[in-house]
Amino acid sequence: MNSVENIDRDFATSAVTAPVVQGPIYGEALVELGQQNPDVFCLSGDLTPATEANLFRDQIPERFLNFGIAEANMIGAAGGIARSGGIPVVHSFSVFLTRRAYDQVAMQVAYPRTNVKLAGFLPGLTTLLGVSHQAIDDVALMRALPNMTIIEPADADELRASLFAAAKMNGPVYLRLRRADLQPIQTQKPRQFEIGKGQLVRDGNDAVIFASGMMVSLAVQAAELLQEKGISAAVANIHTIKPLDVEFVTSLVRDRRLVIAAENHSIIGGLGSAVCEAVAEAGLGAVVERVGIRDVFAEGGTTAYLFQKYGLSAEAIVDACLRAEMRAGKGKQA
Amino acid sequence: MSSAGRLHNVADIQRYARDIRLEVVRMIALQGQGYVAQGLGAADLFAAIYFAEMRLDPADPSWQGRDRFFLSTAHNSAAFHATLAVRGLIERSALETYCKDGSTLEINVSERLGPLVESTSGSLGQGMSVAVGTAVYAKRRGLSHRCYVMLGDGEMQEGQVWEAAMSAANYKLDNLCVVVDLNHMQVEGHTDNAMKMAPVADKWRAFGWSVLEIDGHSIPEILGAFEAARSVKDKPAVIIARTVPGKGVSAIEGQLSHFMRMSPELAESALRELA
Repeated sequence: MNSVENIDRDFATSAVTAPVVQGPIYGEALVELGQQNPDVFCLSGDLTPATEANLFRDQIPERFLNFGIAEANMIGAAGGIARSGGIPVVHSFSVFLTRRAYDQVAMQVAYPRTNVKLAGFLPGLTTLLGVSHQAIDDVALMRALPNMTIIEPADADELRASLFAAAKMNGPVYLRLRRADLQPIQTQKPRQFEIGKGQLVRDGNDAVIFASGMMVSLAVQAAELLQEKGISAAVANIHTIKPLDVEFVTSLVRDRRLVIAAENHSIIGGLGSAVCEAVAEAGLGAVVERVGIRDVFAEGGTTAYLFQKYGLSAEAIVDACLRAEMRAGKGKQA
Repeated sequence: MSSAGRLHNVADIQRYARDIRLEVVRMIALQGQGYVAQGLGAADLFAAIYFAEMRLDPADPSWQGRDRFFLSTAHNSAAFHATLAVRGLIERSALETYCKDGSTLEINVSERLGPLVESTSGSLGQGMSVAVGTAVYAKRRGLSHRCYVMLGDGEMQEGQVWEAAMSAANYKLDNLCVVVDLNHMQVEGHTDNAMKMAPVADKWRAFGWSVLEIDGHSIPEILGAFEAARSVKDKPAVIIARTVPGKGVSAIEGQLSHFMRMSPELAESALRELA
């Protein structure tokens, strides 16, 4: 293991929740995908072990390509591989695939709808490596690109399912991934992963909390805390942030007074914005509170520390819900 | 012409180059201004690439075995579209729609035109990377088609060009051939005014490329360079082609004008001179 990988492993797993699933879930899924589908290529930019792409490299070397520390070129090359008939899965940290190589993603992936899968790691505040490595605007950037699909899985099962689903669909996909120490999500009904379909994790009558990625399990915790305060909150897992399941979102909002969106991302341009757009365009006039990084850059630190400091916690979701209730109450009186 | 056929008759290719120049002038004249100087400057290279060097099938532009051409300087669109028309890959009449609203012949070449455009490269520095991906895919799959890139000299100021150059040498892409249109011209005039890039050939050599320097208006030299590039093994090849903007039209030859006005009088005299 190299030092970067150690840093990511140690500090990412000492997170808000105890590591439940261990092992290279993503890396193993990628190998399985590569063995099933001879068109799949694995591209990496000097972050092969840190993205678990080393398993593919070692087992399917003829379809592995390292492009070094040069993401712009790697994205362009991925476009060329896709145009030739391959399905390149491109690995790096999210910041480098989205913020650094934005023009290349726009012109060689999104515009021509090349069959490129961007597998970005270290979402939001999940790394000690500081602002340079913290993807707080990646969803906003990718959402703004026509033709782009954005998936952020919430647990290990979904991590696997999202990779296979992304490979199955023809077109650009941005996978916002965290190495699999995600808390497994317990649902009332068995879950089925389908791109573009929201999932009801838990039902509730008063509020609905829309969440993606790591925030889903925190939203479930928040719903339990809210229950104690007499607020019945539903939790919805929005694993596909784009295209947003507008029908699902608006149908949940229609029957509930309070709407919360929680994301490990800036409150600008991500899930919270997408939910606000859907709610406003549907003319629902609901009170929405966004939980996320509040238009600031963070700092290097452990995930637990950063999540607490920057308001990504079950308590922060509870507070947002109570704020929403106050605002909704005032609205009624007025 | 058969899909694999290559023209070797210098006079024929020179005639096609002249046809391309005539179309470039007509297209730009309709607009009143445009990328005419670089179009005239690169006409000989385009003619050699499309009539002599590349394997393609006009009846089946998506033919899997075709050689791939990447126009990284996507604004050199008059010359590119003119070449396609002269080669019979698009209708000549389509050239009249160039830059018109709704036309697929955009001023920065777009893949809206169809499979003849291998990537959309208006944002400079990107074409080579797509070509690297295409070439490395062909290598890994044992496919025999070759990849060609037309690169601007000003474009070499983009860092991505050198990322791509490094990776092409790393992967020993001897199926990749880059043509640098060395016309010393960019938006602000002479390339040296914006960024000194000499020594150009040494830079490519240092990146592990096989380098050929030629007169970009000599059809025999161009054909010879392509032939030499094809015989290079285990490394990519770059042909550094010295060209003169406005070549063939004495009134503007050598003028460093990136986006040039073309009056009806200038167009008329240019057409007379070229014919």
